[in-house]
Amino acid sequence: MLLEVRDLHVEFRTRDGVAKAVNGVSYGVDAGETLAVLGESGSGKSVTAQAIMGILDMPPGRITGGEILFQDRDLLTLKEEERRKVRGAGMAMIFQDALSSLNPVLSVGEQLGEMFVVHRGMSRKDARAKAVELMDHVRIPAARERVKQYPHQFSGGMRQRIMIAMALALEPALIIADEPTTALDVTVQAQVMDLLAELQREYDMGLILITHDLGVVADVADRIAVMYAGRIVEQAPVHDIYKAPAHPYTRGLLDSIPRLDQKGQELYAIKGLPPNLMAIPPGCAFNPRCPMAQEVCRVDVPPLYEVSAHGEPEHVVAEPGAERVSACHFWRECLHG
Amino acid sequence: MAEPILEVSGLFKHYPLTQGILFKKQIGAVKAVDGVDFTLLRGETLGIVGESGCGKSTVAKLLVNLEKPTAGAIRYKGEDITRLSGKALKAVRRNIQMVFQDPYTSLNPRMTVGDIIGEPYDIHPEVAPKGDRRRRVQELLDVVGLNPEYINRYPHQFSGGQRQRIGIARGLALRPEVIVADEPVSALDVSVQAQVINLMARLQDEFELSYLFIAHDLSIVRHISDRVGVMYLGRIVEIGRDAEIYDHPTHPYTQALLSAVPVPDPDAREHRERIILAGDVPSPTNIPSGCRFRTRCWKAQERCALEVPVLAVPAEFRHASGPQAHDSACHFAEEKQVVPPEGASDDHDDGTP
Repeated sequence: MLLEVRDLHVEFRTRDGVAKAVNGVSYGVDAGETLAVLGESGSGKSVTAQAIMGILDMPPGRITGGEILFQDRDLLTLKEEERRKVRGAGMAMIFQDALSSLNPVLSVGEQLGEMFVVHRGMSRKDARAKAVELMDHVRIPAARERVKQYPHQFSGGMRQRIMIAMALALEPALIIADEPTTALDVTVQAQVMDLLAELQREYDMGLILITHDLGVVADVADRIAVMYAGRIVEQAPVHDIYKAPAHPYTRGLLDSIPRLDQKGQELYAIKGLPPNLMAIPPGCAFNPRCPMAQEVCRVDVPPLYEVSAHGEPEHVVAEPGAERVSACHFWRECLHG
Repeated sequence: MAEPILEVSGLFKHYPLTQGILFKKQIGAVKAVDGVDFTLLRGETLGIVGESGCGKSTVAKLLVNLEKPTAGAIRYKGEDITRLSGKALKAVRRNIQMVFQDPYTSLNPRMTVGDIIGEPYDIHPEVAPKGDRRRRVQELLDVVGLNPEYINRYPHQFSGGQRQRIGIARGLALRPEVIVADEPVSALDVSVQAQVINLMARLQDEFELSYLFIAHDLSIVRHISDRVGVMYLGRIVEIGRDAEIYDHPTHPYTQALLSAVPVPDPDAREHRERIILAGDVPSPTNIPSGCRFRTRCWKAQERCALEVPVLAVPAEFRHASGPQAHDSACHFAEEKQVVPPEGASDDHDDGTP
């Protein structure tokens, strides 16, 4: 495994109380693989990514438990200086909003070149040449002229390409993309996702794609982890999950999106609202909104069960690395229902 | 049933670009809306889709009179509202209300929910006498699925989906006939989106509303709309019933747009044809001559640069009666199926490749 997150816990101490944003998340990604982390706002998907990158705001954030193994080293035990070397050269992140992630008063060439000056000790002139090369690589037309321009002179899609170029600059082993195309229009979104997938193949990178868009996930991911209230509720290869979800939350999400190819009747709507992270319901966090909830769901927090279409009638708690897991006491009923 | 309630014809909105401080001189214009025509029928939902900058939100603002058009007419029940003023305008505005995109910024944080929803009654006191307002507001809260006891709460005490319900309740307060909804669900989470879409569909039946539903999400627009118009750079390039547009698009832009939408089905990944458009949308200050889509179109020929295509049934389909015969502004319109017909489609393919 290129990256392995084990039982990560993150909380935020605020004036109003402690918000438990991440409550025991474990996932891994291999070189060349795309893991999609799917969840709604407040599910903890971005906080987990920030913890991996080491860019979590601390305080108010606090990592209260777990390990983050990257190329077999636990990042959480490294010194900040070591951590900085990993960041950029080992792993890089692409953010949702390219305009606010770029410095408005520096030309894009300076910002791209800075990577090489800081991490590789190159001269400014060489760094500039590298920046042009990178911009060419992410197919920005007229790179030689545009390298002198400022972020506001680029369109949204072009800015996101610059972000991708910046992430790729030092050829990291892992890229974390947090809603990379959410701010873009559909036609541009398709261009950017295609580019990202192509570059991933070229460099054999691991990719963690954080998104709320089930369509984007179906297009590019190998595996999906679905998050709810700071936990992974289901993790599976992408084909399995769309064919037969093993968690009522995943099922609800899939049923609630309108389809391009069908004119539906009334949409299925998951009732209620996502939980307040300062008061996560006891038992299964999804139980107040779940159509299948029973008494046990209000009491026992479901562990991650191993999901297999045939096999043991008994529920088995999953070993780390199991191919398909679900945190539902009734995953079998959900799978076949 | 099928009488028009809003007729938009030749609508233009150009924002002037000026230079100089004291003696401003116009050096150009942002052509946000550049010749739009459509009709909204009573009780129907017309969806308008398009990418950012295509002018769809400007159309919304023009319809509710937040902006004055540069040229063109907006007829509400036959009367051109762009020429009205004073009392007559006020009376018409009551009947065309708007629901905004962002439920976080479109509600005043210092007003209670009761004041927000009741504020339209201050401007149109004839709708509800003063003593009756509180009860009306509580009724509206109930109608949009919120607890009527929340009347004294403030917007920050609600989630995004609940706030959008408040925005919808405010839009309904004056019992309008037309609701213009500009991206009403795009700021909401997936699970909450469905709730709001269902609510809007229910209210339409209950209050016999006509919707102009503006969004960039093609799946949502298909779900809610009876007819769909596709906008590009200030103009409608194709318009028709939802099955005509989604299953039988004839304009290359519509085809590209549909093919780019990610479909939540990993099996479709391999056998889907994707049309990836080159480049970006041109600037609305400098619209290409002829067909405005030609700079990104794979079919463009010389004719496209010279002649502006009109929005009408293309000549090749003029004598056809099938779903491909709908308005499309392209010189080289041809049918192309880009959305794979998955499962139950509500109409049959008539064999045109």
